[in-house]
Amino acid sequence: MKTEVINRVVLTEKKTSEWRSYELAGFWALRLTLVLVILILGVIVFDIVSKGAGVINWEFLTQPPRVGMTEGGIFPAIVGTFYVTLITIAFAVPLGVGAAIYLNEYAVQGKFTRLVRMSVRNLAGVPSIVFGLFGMAVFVKIFGFGPSLIAAGFTLGLLTLPVTVTASEEALRTVPRAYREGSFALGATRWQVVRTVVLPRAIPGILTGTILGLARAAGETAPILATGAAFFLPHLPDSIRSQFMALPYHLFIMSTQHHAISQVRPIAYGTALVLLALVCLLNLAAVLLRKRYRDKVAKGL
Amino acid sequence: MIQTNTNLKIDQTLVQKTINPELIKTTQDNECDYCEVKVENLNFFYGSIQALFNVTVKVREKGVAALIGPSGCGKSTFLRVLNRMNDLIPGTRLEGKVSIHGENIYAPNTDVVNLRKKVGMVFQHPNPFPKSIFDNIAYGPRIDGLKDKVKLNEIVESSLKGAALWDEVKDRLNEPALALSGGQQQRLCIARALAVKPSILLMDEPTSAIDPLATQRIEDLIRELCSNYTIIIVTHNMQQAARISDHTGFFLQGEMVEWGETSKLFTKPEEQRTEDYITGRFG
Repeated sequence: MKTEVINRVVLTEKKTSEWRSYELAGFWALRLTLVLVILILGVIVFDIVSKGAGVINWEFLTQPPRVGMTEGGIFPAIVGTFYVTLITIAFAVPLGVGAAIYLNEYAVQGKFTRLVRMSVRNLAGVPSIVFGLFGMAVFVKIFGFGPSLIAAGFTLGLLTLPVTVTASEEALRTVPRAYREGSFALGATRWQVVRTVVLPRAIPGILTGTILGLARAAGETAPILATGAAFFLPHLPDSIRSQFMALPYHLFIMSTQHHAISQVRPIAYGTALVLLALVCLLNLAAVLLRKRYRDKVAKGL
Repeated sequence: MIQTNTNLKIDQTLVQKTINPELIKTTQDNECDYCEVKVENLNFFYGSIQALFNVTVKVREKGVAALIGPSGCGKSTFLRVLNRMNDLIPGTRLEGKVSIHGENIYAPNTDVVNLRKKVGMVFQHPNPFPKSIFDNIAYGPRIDGLKDKVKLNEIVESSLKGAALWDEVKDRLNEPALALSGGQQQRLCIARALAVKPSILLMDEPTSAIDPLATQRIEDLIRELCSNYTIIIVTHNMQQAARISDHTGFFLQGEMVEWGETSKLFTKPEEQRTEDYITGRFG
């Protein structure tokens, strides 16, 4: 006991300048963590860009792979990722936004809605390989889609649902109560209130959240591994029941499964760069959309 | 009991003015000829908390009825009972009878959407939608299914004229409503309510967020409107109630302590509590 008291006295007697130097050190430690984060990101991007930029040309982007995937381009993978993302949108957006509207605008708030919300949020933490296996069991087998664009798109859709629902709900919640009340007081039905007043205000947030979710889905490999992505296809998918090539899966093949990995390393880097650019593009689209709608809201229209 | 007194008084004035015994009979037989809103033994609960206690009141057609009382005394709750806005709050419960135009608005077959079209509402803070001035006014008719451009134009013009805003905004109907000043926004909200062609207008402290000059314009507007609409206004401002209302109700802790002609309530209140409040002894 006695020593503790003494220690405390000693502590308080320390000079303030000494404390200030501690604080300064702490500051620099925090700053260092930030620098580290940026550095890591920088190294990754630099590595991919420097090694991948060399192979990117018109042919790489518009031609299918040739000679056992050691030459040629990645066109089918780009198209496949594009198609599967479209199906993901078609599946996840109506379902996610609809669920969010129901949860936030219609459902009586209580234990049940809390439980649903909690489940949806926890769904976001489920590993993507689990989604992949679930998709294989349900969409490929039970629904009988077979390995296909639609099975993979739905699986990716499930993966993005938590993000879509949560982002949409957040967006709906930010719409001021005064607008809802004003609309109800004019004799609007609940759906009219949602359609004419709530949704127009919530759409920027919904879009942003959805696009960010899609960007994540577009880069996923595990969920499409067992649901429709193909190692190599000589032609482009011609229906939603076709198998397809996809950028993330192609990258996985080129860097781990190919018979001449070191030979195709540049192609792998090129694929990574294209995938990275695609995801960045999607994120950029989200930022621009948000800005456009913010400006509109700021103008009050 | 107070209620009966007031009614008697009105009947007497009618007799004096018209000397028509027939009229007394009809008004007695069919009270709803002049009772636009009739509330009987209203109790209102937010969950387990009772907000209104046994409120009974009849509001005459046309004219302005003001509800005064300290904060949290149930004035706004009462107002929102009349267009069933409280339905939007989960866990609310109501006992008693509320009739508008002789119809019980809490009957199970009531169409709440139609009710709210008949009973318009203006809120404490101006709440125009983030749309153009035109689209704000046209909102009500549009959700009602009106698409005809010519008719919409007519309604927008007449509603804005009705709210004494037309001259200020007629050249910029497509500009955002949120660009208007606070007072203009509140008149826009009144115009928006008029566009639905209600017979009753509920106003929940419509001038409390607005500067004195704009307040005066809205008070003038309320006096103009009350020849065509029944206006029930909640106000914190006793002077405002005295200036613009024909009847005043005094609420205290969820009870309607007194209801009567404004001139009488402010000069010779029957209840001690009313007198204490209007003379500033509390509240």
